[in-house]
Amino acid sequence: MLVSSVSGVGSDEALIAIDRADSAIVLAYRAVLEAEGAGANVSGLLEELNFGAEALATANMLYRVGNFGEAVNFADLCYDSVVDVAAKADEAVRLAEFEGKRQFYVTSAASTLGVCCVVLGGVFGWRVFKRRYFRRVLETKPEVVSNES
Amino acid sequence: MNLEDYQTVFTVTVLGLTLIAAFPTISMVVLFPEGSERFSEFWLLGPGHMAEGYPFNVQNGEVQGPVYVGVRNHMGGSQYYLVYVKFRNQTQSLPNVTASTPSPLLPLYEFQFFLGDGEMWEKPLTFSVEDVLFQGDSAFVGSMSINDVVFSVNVSAKWDSEYEGYYCQLFFELWLYDREVQDFQFHNRFVGIWLNMTS
Repeated sequence: MLVSSVSGVGSDEALIAIDRADSAIVLAYRAVLEAEGAGANVSGLLEELNFGAEALATANMLYRVGNFGEAVNFADLCYDSVVDVAAKADEAVRLAEFEGKRQFYVTSAASTLGVCCVVLGGVFGWRVFKRRYFRRVLETKPEVVSNES
Repeated sequence: MNLEDYQTVFTVTVLGLTLIAAFPTISMVVLFPEGSERFSEFWLLGPGHMAEGYPFNVQNGEVQGPVYVGVRNHMGGSQYYLVYVKFRNQTQSLPNVTASTPSPLLPLYEFQFFLGDGEMWEKPLTFSVEDVLFQGDSAFVGSMSINDVVFSVNVSAKWDSEYEGYYCQLFFELWLYDREVQDFQFHNRFVGIWLNMTS
């Protein structure tokens, strides 16, 4: 096992911290995708994830160069910054679903009203048109055609 | 036009208006196929933020750059990206775009980031080659500093008589998190710059 000369932190410990941060960020990302699929605005959540992702990348690099103590610090920073994101994303899903349902009901009601207006207007308009059409036809005087034969 | 013709025109008009009135609700229920192609842009720009002026002749300890590496997401949703920075000589493997396989070389520096659909990410990168030794027809690069993180590389570049230099390549691979595989997968894109080791 390799041990960082500065902090006394071993490679195993660093790897465990990085794995924990990695799992947390993936879990948070999945929750954010679910929120995005539900129609939530996830730009704020992505910003929080980006802070964690940057810390995780730094932890990976420090692990590669053997600075396990700092790698653990950055992995923990990543974990701390994304651990709440999944819960926030779940809340965003609930809000988006509620808003989606509300919007669906409003749109459906407006559409139904619109369709009813068009159909009733069409039937009424057709009746008025038909009545005028027949009146015009009946008012038409027959033409006298000369019969020269 | 007779009355039947007028009736047809009326019916078609009412049907059309009915569809228009119902469309907002229909569009919320029916999923329409997305027509646009899904892809990611990946670029590397020189110090002037243009596709020119890239570092080429490098000396031991001389800081180069910044070069700017960037990505734009056109994948239709949020994505989790990873950029690996690798260093190789002329004989070591590049990624194989035909086979969709990354370079087998170990990464040095890396970037991880999330992008929403249509969003862009760009970061500067400065680097320097360290512990460069010239022996016979080879130049040996012991380590490399990228954005102030020092990595051991141990890459040996042979003298290229055709292009007259000791050539190594700094290249960047784009990876994308695959939800089904639950891991990063090579996204089949890479960019790089050739560097000539000079004394």
